[in-house]
Amino acid sequence: MDISVTGPKIYYTIPIFGGINITQTTVSLLVVTVLLIVLSYFLTRNLTKRPGRMQVVVEKLVSMLYGLVEDTMGKHNLKFAPYIGTLFLSSIFGTLVGMTQILRSTTADLSVTLAWALVTTALVWYNNIKNFGFLAWLKGFTEPIVVMTPMNIVSEIAQPVSMAFRHFGNVAGGSVLTALIYGALAALSSALFSWLPDVIGSVLPPVFQVGIPAFLSIYFDLFSGFVQALVFSLLTMVYVGGACPPPAEEK
Amino acid sequence: MKGFLDAFEGFVGVNFWTMIFAWCNLLILYFFLRKLLFKPVKNMIDSRQKEVDDMYDEAEASRKDAAEMKAEYEEKLAHAGEESEEILKRAVRKAQLREEEILREADEKAARTLKRAQEQVELEKKRAINEVKNEVSDMALGIAAAVIERDIDKKEHEAMIDDFIRQMGEAS
Repeated sequence: MDISVTGPKIYYTIPIFGGINITQTTVSLLVVTVLLIVLSYFLTRNLTKRPGRMQVVVEKLVSMLYGLVEDTMGKHNLKFAPYIGTLFLSSIFGTLVGMTQILRSTTADLSVTLAWALVTTALVWYNNIKNFGFLAWLKGFTEPIVVMTPMNIVSEIAQPVSMAFRHFGNVAGGSVLTALIYGALAALSSALFSWLPDVIGSVLPPVFQVGIPAFLSIYFDLFSGFVQALVFSLLTMVYVGGACPPPAEEK
Repeated sequence: MKGFLDAFEGFVGVNFWTMIFAWCNLLILYFFLRKLLFKPVKNMIDSRQKEVDDMYDEAEASRKDAAEMKAEYEEKLAHAGEESEEILKRAVRKAQLREEEILREADEKAARTLKRAQEQVELEKKRAINEVKNEVSDMALGIAAAVIERDIDKKEHEAMIDDFIRQMGEAS
């Protein structure tokens, strides 16, 4: 039994700019985008003052998002709520599409999580410069003492890298573990049924693969996917919120 | 063909083009979800919240109005009791005054009547005295005539007797 740990499969390479790979990740990203747009279109098509069952759920989720953003970033930063929500939904749906086994989780590709983490860093830098000025932002690297400057620069770079690797590692690690367990269960099946004649043994499916991985999937896909989406969104909120202090009169 | 399908990217690797795809998808999703999901739902929640708040404010205002009106009426009612009492008191006082006035008037009238009666009595008395005087003079005349048995000048005698009686009256 061979178990190969690979990155996303390359479906096609567009032969320009030195080759643009259309991979499983690309397809998954597109599927998630279309799915979320279609979902939100149908969920918010008939919004009424007296909500139906579906609208109550959607409203509850949206108000939870706004509540979380308000608690973490403050009332003055509520304008970031749609972005945080988008990030959260992209992350959790990106992880969950991996459960189809046809598509690969978008978040199991370091390129995706790094891209999102860099957006967070860009938002932090942009808002820091906007709110404190370019020089004050630069000066922030020399605090609390000048000797700390290299450390501060390293931590500034480490911030998106750690975010990206944390998310990628959790999801990709989960998928690797799942693959390993599938392999192990297949090996167990063939070992236990090796006494059967070859004719039967070759058509008998690896029966131990049924059921057991489902429980692992609850943890690695549902739980871990949710937690990582939450962690990524929360870190984004905290970092960006730190760059957007409340207006002076609110202090 | 087999080799083409078996092509994989590295497990841990960054593909710049995938990053660009991720950014594009994130951007597109952001705009669509904001427009389709977050904004309308948030607006709906806010507008409903506002409506509920307005309703509560309105109810509170009505309640306050009603309470104010009630207090006003209660005050008016209490005041009405006082006012009626005042009116009653005034009426009683007026009646008392009127009673006294009537009594006084009656007294005055009685006094006047008495006085007039006294005057009349006086007048009658005077008249009676005069009558008596006349009769006495007539009698005296008759007596004198009988005494002297002579017809004397009646007129002269009458004057004489009158003088006599007046002197008597003045003396008495």
